[in-house]
Amino acid sequence: MLRFDRRLIHHFDWVMLLMLGLVSAMSLANLFSSTWSGGPDPSAIFYKQLYIFLFGFALILILISIDYKELEKLGYLGYVATCALLLYTNLFVSNIAGTQRWINLGFFHLQPSEPAKLILVLVLASVYSRSDVGGKGYGLMDLIKPGILTAVPFVLILIQPDLGTALMLAILFVSMTLFVKLRWSTMGILGGVGVVGAVLGWKFGLKDYQHRRIETFLNPESDPMNHGYQITQSKIAVGSGQGFGKGFMEGTQGHLHFLPERHTDFAFSVWCEEWGFAGSLFFLSCYFFMLLWGINIALSARDKFGVLLAFGLVMLIFWQAVINLFMIMGFLPVVGIPLPLFSYGGSSLLTTLVAIGILMNIRMRRYQSQ
Amino acid sequence: MKNIRRRNRKRSKPAEDIDRRRDAGKTKITQRDDGELDFFRRRAMYSSVLLITFFAILVTRLWYLQIQQGEQYKKLAENNRVRYLEVAAPRGNILDRKGREIVTNRPSFNVVWVREDNRLDDELIKKMARILDVDVSELLVKIRKMAGTPGHIPIRLAEDIDWDKVAYVENNRMELPGIKIEVVPLRVYHYGNMASHVIGYLGEINKKDLQKDKSGVYRGGDMIGKMGLERLREEDLRGEKGRNYMEVNALGFEQRNLKGTAPLPGNDLQLTLDVDMQRAAEEIMMSEKKSGAVVAIEVNTGRLLMLASLPVLELDKFIGGISHKNWKEMLDNPYHPLMNKLVQGQYPPASTYKIVTAIAGLAEGVIDADTIIYCPGYYRFGNRTYRCWKHSGHGAVDLKRALAESCDVYFYQVGQRLGVNRLASYAVRLGLGRKTGVEMEHEKGGLIPTADWKMKRYGKPWQEGETLSVAIGQGFDLVTPVQLALMTATVANGGTLYKPSLIETVRDPDGRIIEQFEPVVLGRFTGQEHNLKLVRDGLIEAVNGRHGTGRRARLKNITVAGKTGTAQVVRLKQYKHLKEEDIPYKYRDHAWFTCFAPAENPEIAVTVLVEHGLHGGSGAAPVARAVLEKYFADRLQDPDEVTTVILPGRLLADFDSPQSASATAPTN
Repeated sequence: MLRFDRRLIHHFDWVMLLMLGLVSAMSLANLFSSTWSGGPDPSAIFYKQLYIFLFGFALILILISIDYKELEKLGYLGYVATCALLLYTNLFVSNIAGTQRWINLGFFHLQPSEPAKLILVLVLASVYSRSDVGGKGYGLMDLIKPGILTAVPFVLILIQPDLGTALMLAILFVSMTLFVKLRWSTMGILGGVGVVGAVLGWKFGLKDYQHRRIETFLNPESDPMNHGYQITQSKIAVGSGQGFGKGFMEGTQGHLHFLPERHTDFAFSVWCEEWGFAGSLFFLSCYFFMLLWGINIALSARDKFGVLLAFGLVMLIFWQAVINLFMIMGFLPVVGIPLPLFSYGGSSLLTTLVAIGILMNIRMRRYQSQ
Repeated sequence: MKNIRRRNRKRSKPAEDIDRRRDAGKTKITQRDDGELDFFRRRAMYSSVLLITFFAILVTRLWYLQIQQGEQYKKLAENNRVRYLEVAAPRGNILDRKGREIVTNRPSFNVVWVREDNRLDDELIKKMARILDVDVSELLVKIRKMAGTPGHIPIRLAEDIDWDKVAYVENNRMELPGIKIEVVPLRVYHYGNMASHVIGYLGEINKKDLQKDKSGVYRGGDMIGKMGLERLREEDLRGEKGRNYMEVNALGFEQRNLKGTAPLPGNDLQLTLDVDMQRAAEEIMMSEKKSGAVVAIEVNTGRLLMLASLPVLELDKFIGGISHKNWKEMLDNPYHPLMNKLVQGQYPPASTYKIVTAIAGLAEGVIDADTIIYCPGYYRFGNRTYRCWKHSGHGAVDLKRALAESCDVYFYQVGQRLGVNRLASYAVRLGLGRKTGVEMEHEKGGLIPTADWKMKRYGKPWQEGETLSVAIGQGFDLVTPVQLALMTATVANGGTLYKPSLIETVRDPDGRIIEQFEPVVLGRFTGQEHNLKLVRDGLIEAVNGRHGTGRRARLKNITVAGKTGTAQVVRLKQYKHLKEEDIPYKYRDHAWFTCFAPAENPEIAVTVLVEHGLHGGSGAAPVARAVLEKYFADRLQDPDEVTTVILPGRLLADFDSPQSASATAPTN
């Protein structure tokens, strides 16, 4: 199992590490600014995130020493464990801010919905890499197993209620299913079901506050002071950064508390305000280069599972990033999706670091025999 | 792809078979599996297009927000962050000609609320209602009135609050986000309602004025001049508001002060008015409950030395906006306090107009100083009899006596000889019948009729009999007190028509003079020096002669020249035989007195109108004298003697004087 190959060191993914290091540094710098409260010392939140980064990097070191093939088996175990945790939070954890998301581990508040995304990618990659559907592509019956595997955590997260994360699971399922070949007829049927489901969901499934968020997004003027307020303030923060920003620690939108959730969901607004278009472009370039590098890992993987897993992990980060950035820039309503690696939040950060660790793992083993 | 091939090639040589076999034991690698791997890799490559597309969308959006719209968002961020409070500027002071303060300012404290993004905080409103000791609904009314105005403009919750409340709010500011104490200068009137029609008052700017305002300096709740100089000189007086900028956080708490601008006080107006004269006139008028107008003017410059319209406006009723009740009361008041009688009141000039008739007659050569006209107490013209006020008649009168004793018959004949149009042309040259341009609002032009005017106005030809009425200042003739003062001054100074002015200097806050009084000549009445002198002699006699009508205006060391007038309000038979005290107030005659002094070298002209004051000699002349006494105070030897010793004697003398016994005729 732990066949250690010298080639592993030789093939170590320095590119990914470099990009991860750059993005992490920017993330920490931004967190330092957005949580700074005037004293000489960085905030407790900053230290907490810093420790999680360090812990995550250590975790990556351990992760890359295990062949990702072994993770396939661990995946199912993780799947069962995650679902159990989700069930546990739904049943026993008291509300925080109207939702049941966190489990208090004493040193750490675990949000099981975060690893759930990663576990789902792992499980789906495993299922799709093992099924053999021939050239025709997947039919409706072939999707029952992956469908159920997605539906269980989806429903558990939806009733927390955490619409954003639940939708992320759905998006990951759709991305990975479309990635493996799907029959046109199946696609048509699923598309129809999706539309009907969305309509019914809007009518009966969403909570009032979720309705409001979407309505506000469609017509921000209708409620400029509450739900529209966040988006408006975020756009002001981003736009007012102009070409070169107001300077590190000089953002007024963030520091004067106009920006809500300025170190979590709206962390990147602070970055845009302080570093301007130049800084934002630099960050996005690093970030997307990292993701493209992830795609490169997928297409250089040695087997189907590797390709699927790498692709899924990239999608996991990519879609969260796109949704978060679209929200910040006023393209989407406020949904509680963080910007991976950038928003404050231990569960999300650890999950993302693990995902990147797995990507590096796949990269390192691209030449290995199976 | 290349990697895989390379790898396969490398391995293919010695251990190929073994490898194959071992791999086959673990997973089946078929040709199709390899094909599917390639298919997946191709798909992975395509997916990079998805990533790049989204990257492009995000960068474009960033470009749009930060570069295209950046300037606008920067302003929005500044608006978020920076609040300012406008600091009202102290209005300019208003001083009298000797620099005595008439109107200045004192600080007053208002409680204002700066809205934070329109979020109405119930708790805060309740707290404020408790602190200010008012109803919550009262505060809500004030807040609603400001709905729709930009959020950084403070809403005034209470005005001119006492020190205890100021201290309480200041001490509890941390619990009262957005609540501020605003220091606003408030007007102080050092002489109460003195000269209130001239100075005017302030009021809160109304919506209409706000919309009309092009300067953009006014906000809702600002005080603006509503009448008088406060209104006419608004631009001089208002100054420039200052601004206090501050940085606030999202909760509206002040973070730090940014640099601001201090308010610039308005310009000071120094008037030509003299407080002593003004008060003397107003006091004597008020003490006798007289309504009317008093004007004093410097004859050689046009400076107005006092301007009183009575009853005075009660300025305290206008502070903070006049109530409907008070307004109605003023409208219904029979003494018409809202009217500025100085320029808005038009009255028949009555006998004072004989000055004009005399000048016209002399200038046109229809009479000279020695022309004698016999007055039997009436004059027959056509089939009508025109009466002299002295029914027993004046006998043979020359110009001097005619003016001194105000003989109507004499002037009927002069008027008849002149004709209405010639007479009117002299009246206009002496400043009557047209606006003087004095700095007061809604000035009326009066009326000096001509034949053409009557044809246009009534479509009827002029009747010669009407000329007789006009010649003694009745009929259609109408003048304002300021016009009559101007005419008197012109006669006094030898024929120069000076524009009546009431601003001596305008000084900016640094004391630099922005505007300085300069006499403005409206017209010259040349070549008439001798004739004017003849008229002056008549006017001197009117005050100083044994039978003069204006004897009550006499001064000890100063020669006063003047003319009385009693203007008929109505000519109703039913009142003809009543004693004048029994005639209803509103039908009583108006009393005029217009004069100048010293007669030998005139300096000042004073005109007094007492509405329904009955007789010029008794009703108006004493007021003029009070004003003159103030003006000549330092030249009147032993002024105590003048007022306390001589006055009783004079009053006794008055009982013997002709006009007090002959009070039944309408005109004297």
